[in-house]
Amino acid sequence: MAERVSILDKWSAPHGEEERKAFFLDLNVSQIIDKMSIRWGKSIRKFYSYFPADAACEAYRREVYGDIKREEIYHCCMSFMDALGELEDMQRQKSKVKSAMQVSVWQIREIDAYCRAFDALEVALSKAKPNSQGLTKFLKYLQEYLASPSYQKMREQCGSVLRELIGFRFLITYEKDRMIVSLGECEGKYEEFLKTFGDPDRPPLVSPFLASNMISELENSCLEILAKKRPQIFQALQKTAEEYGAYDDSILMQFAKELPFYLSFCSFQREMEELGFRFCTPKAEEGERMEAKGLYDLALAIVANREGRKVVSNDFYYGENESFFVLTGPNQGGKTTFARSLGQLVYFTKMGLDVPAEYANVHYFKDIQTHFSVEESIETGRGKLKEELIRLAPMMEDHQSGTFVVINELFTTAASYDARIMGGKVLTHFIELGCQGIYVTHLKELTEIHPKVVSLRAMLDQERLQTFEIRRSEAEESACAANQVNKYHLTYEQLKERL
Amino acid sequence: MNVFLLYENSDRLGEKPYYDGKSIVQDLGLKALFLAAAKEVIYENESVKRIEKEDIYIQDTMRKIMLVPLEDKEAMTYRQEVVRDAFNREELMRELYSISSHLLQEWNKLGRGLKDKLSQSNPVTKLTSDIMVAHLFYDALVRIRELLEDPAQELTSRGLKGLRKRLREEFSPERQEYVRKILQDVSFYVDGMDQEDEARDQVVKPRILVECGLEDGLKFSSMRLQEVSSENTKFYRPGSTMDKLQDFKNSRIPDSFSTVKDVAIGEQADQLEYAIVSYIMGNLGKFMRDFNGFFDALHLQTAFYVGAINLKHHMERFSLAWCFPTVCEPENLSFQDLKEFVMCLEQRVKAVGNTCDMKRKELLIVTGANQGGKSTFLRSIGIAQVMMQSGLMVTAVEFRSGLFPRLFMHFTRREDSAMNSGRLDEELSRMDKIVENLRETSGPAMMLLNESFATTTEKEGSGIAYDIIKALNEYGVKILTVTHLLTFAQRMYEEYRDNPESTVEFLSAERKPDGTRTFHMIQHAPELTSFGLDLYEEIVEKK
Repeated sequence: MAERVSILDKWSAPHGEEERKAFFLDLNVSQIIDKMSIRWGKSIRKFYSYFPADAACEAYRREVYGDIKREEIYHCCMSFMDALGELEDMQRQKSKVKSAMQVSVWQIREIDAYCRAFDALEVALSKAKPNSQGLTKFLKYLQEYLASPSYQKMREQCGSVLRELIGFRFLITYEKDRMIVSLGECEGKYEEFLKTFGDPDRPPLVSPFLASNMISELENSCLEILAKKRPQIFQALQKTAEEYGAYDDSILMQFAKELPFYLSFCSFQREMEELGFRFCTPKAEEGERMEAKGLYDLALAIVANREGRKVVSNDFYYGENESFFVLTGPNQGGKTTFARSLGQLVYFTKMGLDVPAEYANVHYFKDIQTHFSVEESIETGRGKLKEELIRLAPMMEDHQSGTFVVINELFTTAASYDARIMGGKVLTHFIELGCQGIYVTHLKELTEIHPKVVSLRAMLDQERLQTFEIRRSEAEESACAANQVNKYHLTYEQLKERL
Repeated sequence: MNVFLLYENSDRLGEKPYYDGKSIVQDLGLKALFLAAAKEVIYENESVKRIEKEDIYIQDTMRKIMLVPLEDKEAMTYRQEVVRDAFNREELMRELYSISSHLLQEWNKLGRGLKDKLSQSNPVTKLTSDIMVAHLFYDALVRIRELLEDPAQELTSRGLKGLRKRLREEFSPERQEYVRKILQDVSFYVDGMDQEDEARDQVVKPRILVECGLEDGLKFSSMRLQEVSSENTKFYRPGSTMDKLQDFKNSRIPDSFSTVKDVAIGEQADQLEYAIVSYIMGNLGKFMRDFNGFFDALHLQTAFYVGAINLKHHMERFSLAWCFPTVCEPENLSFQDLKEFVMCLEQRVKAVGNTCDMKRKELLIVTGANQGGKSTFLRSIGIAQVMMQSGLMVTAVEFRSGLFPRLFMHFTRREDSAMNSGRLDEELSRMDKIVENLRETSGPAMMLLNESFATTTEKEGSGIAYDIIKALNEYGVKILTVTHLLTFAQRMYEEYRDNPESTVEFLSAERKPDGTRTFHMIQHAPELTSFGLDLYEEIVEKK
């Protein structure tokens, strides 16, 4: 059992603590991850910045996700997560107590929860028959592990100790300033009486001492009497807990940690699909052109849905010998949104997950690089330009060849003449480095800078209002001002009419 | 539990109060009526001994309830039945009122409304007060049951009979016993709250038997109660010989430990007691919720009926005949010997009664002598209408009218003269709001106008009055107006005098040929003089 079994990695690459990728903020991927971590906790974040090692690994994940998406597997995994929650609860309880005897009780219950969680997972998963390499490999490992004599013995022994503890009942009589402890059970006569006209919503009787994990003096006095009356049960408890101090299997626990990566996205996807947003599994055919239909910005979809706004989707393709989009058009015309959705498309494909589009074929990229102008930056003029260039420089190093690049509004504070020249240089550099991507700008000249550049434009309708549609089209002088005047009915004709 | 003494199916006041209740109160002088309703008349040997000081709660309640009109005959009959029962069983109604008053007072003392604050600061205080409040509820309900079940009461109204029936169902003898037993069992928890240790020889101690498990990390878990009771035991002063002897005896009990010797254990035993009592009291949660609003509703509703009883005594005090009004078609209005109740109350005079029978009349125009009782006449109808529409009796031998949930007052307010916008402007603005309200609502409507639009010249005022009154009348508002605008009255008269189907009635304050006023209204065509000259002569020239 020395072989590593991971549902994230095809090869035995170790999990490293990855840095949060710089593009997370630019592409609003962080918003999507934040949304998912509301339910799944911050621990899932590191998996979203853990890139697969190569194209094969990416495909390996895509296969696993294909399995996870299946209704029966999704549900069995979700129940498994609930069962793990119970296990974690026991661990938390255990960590809070001091007395050895108490630790033993929680230890036994922890093992019991562990066994129940994986037993149930095995039953459900075997029935569902996964197709992916990753899950099949894991299931095989799980089956072997559960069948092993050492696991069987542990389960049996802990179960019996626990059953005895749970079955153990005693009575306390409280009268005349004394507590009298005796063994045995009663029929709960007073509970029966209370039920006759009681309040169905009443809170149950909870021992006040459960508020603390420590054994109170009063409980301790009772335990002392009980230990004298029934020593066997306490001895068996301690012995078993000691014997199975380290009970868990590292590969199983690794699986338990990795699973939320897929589940968090899957449950999020299901939620969005219910709201009418489409997802698809991207094809990864290097032989076919890269394209997508009905592509939208997933982060915007979350916000827009909350605010009741519509989300516009777009189609695109990179033809033969085309490697960079230069996107121009009016302000507030959906340029940045389109650039983001393109980046998200590459990102989610890379992670082996589904993408926010109706159809997509995405090629393999080594990495994603983004450069968005920092609008909130109070620095202007030279300061801002300097800051932009400092961020740009490492992106343009040789080893960045083969990455997907998203650039949004470079050099806005520089003189137009300078900006055109610098922009042209940057674009040409990336194209010659073998990168692919999109460049959003106001400078129409950039669309003609290189034969591999495709000109895209954010379109307006007849009334010159934004449509948020992005099409292949020649660049046009920016028309944003007239458009806004129009919108507010302040053109000469309009004013004549109004006045 | 519902009280349903005011409405057959609701404990909430109707959702549609009169438009501008403030004007109704002011223009009809209802304050004096509310005040009288709040004052009990005490008799001795069948003559009035004294008038009690007013009960402010009743005064407020009368105002609240009388300003929400009943909308149909059925609802009015329902309430009249209870008023009749209240008149026949005065003591029952007064008793119900005082039980609920007393309970609410005690409940407030125990920190009602402060609950959240209390529970944060001291949960034990909250629990003991919960127990005491439950006691209050229990005692009051038992007493109410006794009252309603008394065979001598002979209840006839659906309201009180329904209350008795619901009490039988919702506070069944079994449930009563359940509550009693719980309060008895946990009585140890509130024992001695009002006694000094020195003063007693008995002490109430709990006896609790509980089953426990240990699966939650050896801590008490999944508890089940087998027995809870409170037992009286002899009280021994701590440290006394008897106390020590008792201690010694107890310490010989096998497998036991003391909960008083060790401070920590003592505190924990208190916590356990608290948890158990609190759990048991939780079972009374439904009972407490069921009756939580009951006493407030009962208090409010019985206050109204006590008010009705008091009003009846005041009517009798002034020897005013009264009757329960009957509902007829809205175009008819008839009454016999109707008197203005508020004036009787305030001026302690015996008013002149008027008798009228108006069939198929939508507009009543009253003109005639100054100081001839025109306004009094108009108010007497308004007051009777409001009393009728709250289910009360009226000061007349007979009274028949339609129900008008939309009742509007448009009285000239002399005291408003100081307003900046000018008096006519103010009058018109008030009318504008009334019209806006008419537009937004529906149902039969009645409007009383007293000397409206008299704040401008007679000619102008007549024009305004004509347009407005005609339009409103055509829209279907029943209008009763007292006016000095003789041009207006004349014009109306000319229009309708030869129409046998006329829906307009003209009344005038009677004036004998010798100039004396009888304060009676008679059918009479409007005249061009209101005989102010007479008054002028009488007062100024003192003829």
